[in-house]
Formats: sequence, structure tokens, C-alpha cells
Amino acid sequence: MSPSYFLKRIALIGYTLLVVSVIVFAITQILPADAAVMLLGENATPDALAVVREKLGLDAPVWLQYFHWLTNMLQGDFGISMRTNQSVGPELFAALGRSLLLALLSIVLMLVIAFPLGVYAAVRRGKAADFGVSVVSYIGVSLPEFVTSTLLILLFADWLGWLPATGYVPLTDDLLDGLAHLVLPVLTISAILIAHVSRMVRSELVDVLHADYIRAARLKGLSSWTVLFKHALRNALLPTITIVAMDVGYLLGGVIVVEEIFAIPGIGRLLITAIQNRDLPTIQAGALIMATTYAIANFLADMTYAWLDRRIQYE
Amino acid sequence: MLNLDRRHFLAVSAGLSSLAMTAFDANAQSPQRGGTLRVSVDQAVTKLNPLLARVDPEFMVAELLYSALTRVKPDMTAEPDLALSWTSSPDLLEWTFVLRKGVTFHDGSSFSAKDVVATFEAILDTKTASPARLTVGPITSIKAKDAFTVVFTLSAPFADLPVTLANNNAKILPAVVAKSGLARLDREAVGTGPFKLVSYEPERKIVVARNENYYDKGRPYLNRIEVMVYPDSTAEGSALISGDTDLMARLPPTEFDRLKKTRGVKVSRAPSGQFCNVNFGCDQKPFNDVRVRQALALTIDRDNMVNFVAEGFGTPGNDTPLNAAYHYHAAQAMKKADIAKAKALLAQAGYPNGLDVTLIASDRPPVRTQLAIALREMAKPAGFRINVETMPHATYLDQVWKKGSFYIGFYNMQPTADAIFSLLYTSNASWNETRWNNPTFDKLIAQARATIDEKKRRTLYADAQKLMNLEVPSLVPVFFDLLSAQRDWVQGYQLHPRGSVYRFDYLSLAANAPKRA
Repeated sequence: MSPSYFLKRIALIGYTLLVVSVIVFAITQILPADAAVMLLGENATPDALAVVREKLGLDAPVWLQYFHWLTNMLQGDFGISMRTNQSVGPELFAALGRSLLLALLSIVLMLVIAFPLGVYAAVRRGKAADFGVSVVSYIGVSLPEFVTSTLLILLFADWLGWLPATGYVPLTDDLLDGLAHLVLPVLTISAILIAHVSRMVRSELVDVLHADYIRAARLKGLSSWTVLFKHALRNALLPTITIVAMDVGYLLGGVIVVEEIFAIPGIGRLLITAIQNRDLPTIQAGALIMATTYAIANFLADMTYAWLDRRIQYE
Repeated sequence: MLNLDRRHFLAVSAGLSSLAMTAFDANAQSPQRGGTLRVSVDQAVTKLNPLLARVDPEFMVAELLYSALTRVKPDMTAEPDLALSWTSSPDLLEWTFVLRKGVTFHDGSSFSAKDVVATFEAILDTKTASPARLTVGPITSIKAKDAFTVVFTLSAPFADLPVTLANNNAKILPAVVAKSGLARLDREAVGTGPFKLVSYEPERKIVVARNENYYDKGRPYLNRIEVMVYPDSTAEGSALISGDTDLMARLPPTEFDRLKKTRGVKVSRAPSGQFCNVNFGCDQKPFNDVRVRQALALTIDRDNMVNFVAEGFGTPGNDTPLNAAYHYHAAQAMKKADIAKAKALLAQAGYPNGLDVTLIASDRPPVRTQLAIALREMAKPAGFRINVETMPHATYLDQVWKKGSFYIGFYNMQPTADAIFSLLYTSNASWNETRWNNPTFDKLIAQARATIDEKKRRTLYADAQKLMNLEVPSLVPVFFDLLSAQRDWVQGYQLHPRGSVYRFDYLSLAANAPKRA
């Protein structure tokens, strides 16, 4: 990969983020009601609305609001939340940190379980083991998060009493208690990830195992172990990498239901509340963070592609 | 669904509320001091500044940290908080409050009349944008007569001032903060309340600890309270069952039965004045014709409405915003469904073939939609063809609320009859949603405001309720009960019909409570 290509990619990410910020800003302008209406709720009188709008800077023309936001943003200032009156930056990064922790643990658990499961099912294709893995992963894919999490809570908190039902405890407060609170949300999320990643690994691997070059490798007399891990899996992984990259995006913002049920103040919840309350600076910053994660995850996926398959060259 | 006979329950809870203070005192003999209580709430506490609090969890935290001049008892009359006693001029235009001495704020400064004056000036300042500005009473000015006496001057005679000063937002701040430091209160708390702020994470956890200098030497009993935010009510219920939390402040009806069956968990319910209604634009066709409104009122099976909308945890309404939870409620014969009569009224009004109307319901809270759908079905046989349109709450606030002519409203209980009437139904109401503009009604409410004699006021309010019941400016078919749940080791908790009053200074933990750091 050439340095100029690398720089081009970075510039493209920057351009994407700018476009995202314009679109998000435009959409929030079309939405009915603004932060002042939501802040005052049913206590809104015309004079109170005017006061709050002025305080929030909502009385300025739209383009000027956007310009102010952009110039502050370029200086690293995310602005002040219209809902909580706190700086958006620290609030956002704290939420992002909690989501990242959740995402990281879920992905690790997924990798540890999904890959061996997918490989095993592919190798034992058509046998009872394959069928068993299929059924379990179908269940995992089809159960929505709120069902999985509620069932897990019922089982582990209500009946067995082994784990806390819900709530978030920072690991810095109490490491063990913090981890205990993370077990159920991580299980919920990885159940879904494991299901679709293991299915992906299985189907790709099954295809590859039928390819001519695998037959050639076998005929050459390589051990089935070498064939599987050195030749087949490497090629079967490519599409799976894309799936995992998209999953990272989903984990940072898409697991709002899990964050809601387990009361984890993550980035998804932050963003939804911000949208409901028309909290412009938080919506903007949150959308940018999510767009950035998708962009970076995709970028990393492309680089992994190149590393796995030397024939792929990026110019 | 209900194991408790409603009539019996109402009688018991009515008895309870009149005995409330004695009950508190009976509890006061034995409570253990100390311990940490965890209470769960369903929404984040984003406004720590008591002047700006808007939702129940925020009111809860404000009540822990701050005091007001007065407090409202479960029977909805006023009792002393920072004000010890009060008197009014005979014309009810000037009220004098004598303040408690020897009270200190959490920062160590001492409390006096100048703090009260500065706080109310901040509340009345439009720049503060406090919801209390509209609800605290018709105050034009407030002066300190001496260090511990304040005088309120009103723009109109007003008998309810001691109760309206118990306003959730009218918490007393130090003068220096009220004058120029309100921004500080976004992150810290400087009150005179029973607890001091320890830590504040709006979306997760608010921790308070006992104020050793609280003016009530006996209370609070608890050392520490942790207010935990759980947005999902099923998970919140599970946290109570597993013993993570001790008290669930508000319970949706769907969780009531599950928690009731759990050993070691006690559920409570109390009737309250919280209601859902159907607002008519009384100045526009077709609802400007009283017969159309009366006809729609006659299509409702009110007991079934309670079962459907409140899952049985409520009481039927009689098209007035007052129910038994209000001090001046006047009981009238409950309206019954009468489709034939409804049809006849509709025909008289010029709609012999029925009528097409669109009813708008916001999606928050979901009971609004439930009420709209139930009404659509109940009104169908009488010839009302109702098209129900639901929309996001933000859109509703922006486009329909106070502007529409046929939509679902949802209101919390107000401290006084006057507060709810002059919020919603008089011609000069802050939110004159119905545009009913009835001069007779206005006069009754104004007279009652200016009358201190209990019996006369009761008659005036009874007449006002009769008038509403007859003319139906809005349909009020259902009032909601308040529900809560607690572990059996929590002692001294009582649901307050006002909803936003908690009195955690009376709570204590029994010996079997889990020990928490």
C-alpha cells in the first residue's frame, strides 16, 4: 500500500465526515420542535421559549449556527449540550469508553467462540454437529436483543441469583462488581454476533473447501490440518472480516436496546436521548463519532484484506 | 388482575392519608439510624438545579437536597418546612411567612429572609425560565420584613398560597447563588435539605449523604441514598427482586403482579389525580356544539376504560379534572354509557348520519394511544368515526399541543383544585387547550381563589365541577393510581398522591437489610 493511497483514504474519511455533519445538521432542522421546546416541554410560554432559544443560540440563522459549530469543532470543541448544559466532549467520550468496553469484550468472546464453531461445522458438514450448530445459530440470529437479555436476566438474576440483573458499575469503582455487571450484556450481544459470524465462517469455508486449489493441496499430500488452516481458512476469512468490521460499527451505537435494558450509559443511549431532545451539539458529535468508527473499521478491514491476500493491492 | 377490592382499597388509603402524620410518628419510635438505601428511577436526572427540575426523578433529588417554605401533606394541605407559620391580610392580597431560625445551607452559610427573597426573584425572572414562575401563585413582589419574616404581595386575592409555595421547583437557594450563581447548580447542590450531594452522574447514579446539620434533629435516619437510573422497567424490577435495589419509585402496571408475587417485596398503590383526557376545541366545529361533546361522553364505558388504559390500576373519571385525591373533590353520579342517547344528541346537533373526526395522540406516555384507540371503539356504535393519528412527542408538542381541536392530554396531579382549573380550563388558563371560555366557570374559580372559608370554597368548587361535568370541555375518563415497590426491609415509605413528593427523610432500614458501604 503506497503512502499516497493512505493519505487519500484519510482525506476521504475527512470529506465523508464533513458531508455527514452537513446532512445531520440539515435533518435536525427539518425535524419538528427544537431543543427549547423539548427543554421547556409543557411549561413553554412564548417568552420562556425566546429566552431559552437565545441562551442556546437557536435564534441565529441556520447557516451561522452550522458555521459556529464547525469552527468550534475544528478547534476540538464539541460545544455545550443543550439538554444538560455540560460540555459535550467529556460526556461523549465517557459514553464512548463504556460502549467500547462492551464492544471489545463482546468481540473477544465472539472471536473465541464463533471461529472454532464455524470451522467445526464446515468440516463436519451434513453431520449432526453441523446441524446442531446451525440450529443454535439460527436461534441466536432470530432472537432480538430484548428477548435474549430478558431471558438471561430471568435465568441468571431472578432465578439463580448469580449475577446482578442490570446496572453499570465502572471498573475503576470496583473491578469484580463491574465485570459481574458486564457479563449479561456481553452474553446478549455476543449471542447475536456469534450466530451470524459462525454461519458466515461456515458457509465461506464450505465453498473454499470445494475449490480446486484445496483439492490440489490435498493431492500434494499436505495434512488436512495444514490444508484447513493454512490454505482454506485464510481465504474463507475475507468476507468474514467485512462482517466483523460492520459489527464494530453496530456495537458502537447500534446496541441501544442492550444499553437501555442494562442501564449502560453508552453512546447509543446518549445519541437517542439527544435526538429525542433535539440536542444539536450532542447529535452532531455523536453522529460524527459513529461515522468515524464505521470509516475506520472499514479502513482496517481493507488493510486486513491486503495482509491476508497479497494479490490485493491498493493504489 | 386486582386482588384488592377497589372500594375497600380507596377507603383504606383515604384513612391512611388522614392518618398520615400519625403514621409517620408511629414509625418514628423505632427506626434504626444509618445504612445505605438504593432507590431506582426510570429517567435520568439531567436537571440538578431545583428551579429547573421537570420530571419526577429530578423532583426526588431536589427534595433530598433542598427545602421549600412549605410542604404538602398527603391530604394536600400545607405544613411547615422552612416557614414555621403564616398569616394573610383579610383581602388575601398580602401573606406574611415567619421563617425557621438556626438553619444552615450545605456550604455552612446561614439561612434567612434575604435568601427567600432572592430565590423568589430568581423564580419570577423570565430569564431563569423556571416552570415555577407560572405555578407558584400570583406573586408580584416579595420583601423581607426582618431577618426571619417575609411578605408576599399578590396581584389578586389567593387563598392557596401556602400550598402553592410547596411547589416542586420553589426550593430555597442561598441569596448569592440565586442572584448570580445559578449556573453552579448544574453540577452541585447548595440547599438546606436532609441530604447533601456526594456524586452526580446524570444518566446512572446520584449519591447523597445525611446532612448532619439538618434542622430536624431526629431525621433523616439513613446515612446515604443512591438514586439509580434504570431506563427499562422490567430490568428495574429484576434489580429489585435480586436485591440490587431497595425501592422502585414508580412502577408500570405491567410489573405490578410480578413484583407482588415475589417474596420479600412489598408493592403499594395509591390513587392520585394523574389523568388522561380528550381535549375538545370548544370554539370550532364540530365540538363547539355542547351536544356533540355530551354525546361522545355518553359513549364511554368508564370502568372498562380504567381496565383497558390503566390495566385496572386507576379510577374512573367524571369529566372533571378532580378526583378523590384532591381536597375539594365533589362526588357526582358517575356517567354511564348510553349509546341511544348519544345518537339522539348527535342527531339533534345535526349529525344524524354520524361524524368523521381525527383524534391525535402523542406516543409518550403510551397510555395516550391506548385511550385514543379505546375511545374510537367505544364511540363507533353511536356514529363517531374516529381516525386515530399517533405521532412522536416532539412533533406533538410543536404542532398539536394547545393548537389542535381533538387530541389526548396527560397531566400530573396538581397540588390544588385551583392549580388544575387555572392551568387548563379557565379563559385565562396558562394552557387554555379547550378554549371553553365559560364566564360562569371563570367566576366560580375566581371567587374560590379569593375565599378562605373552607365551606364556601367547597360549594364554589362543587358548582364548578358540576358545570364541567355537564358541559364537557374535555373528556376525563380515567385517573391513574401511583404504584411503587420496595423490599420489606425498607421502613416508613408511603406513596404520596402528589406523585412528586417522596419524604425519604422518614425512611429507615430494618436489621435484615443488606449492608452496603
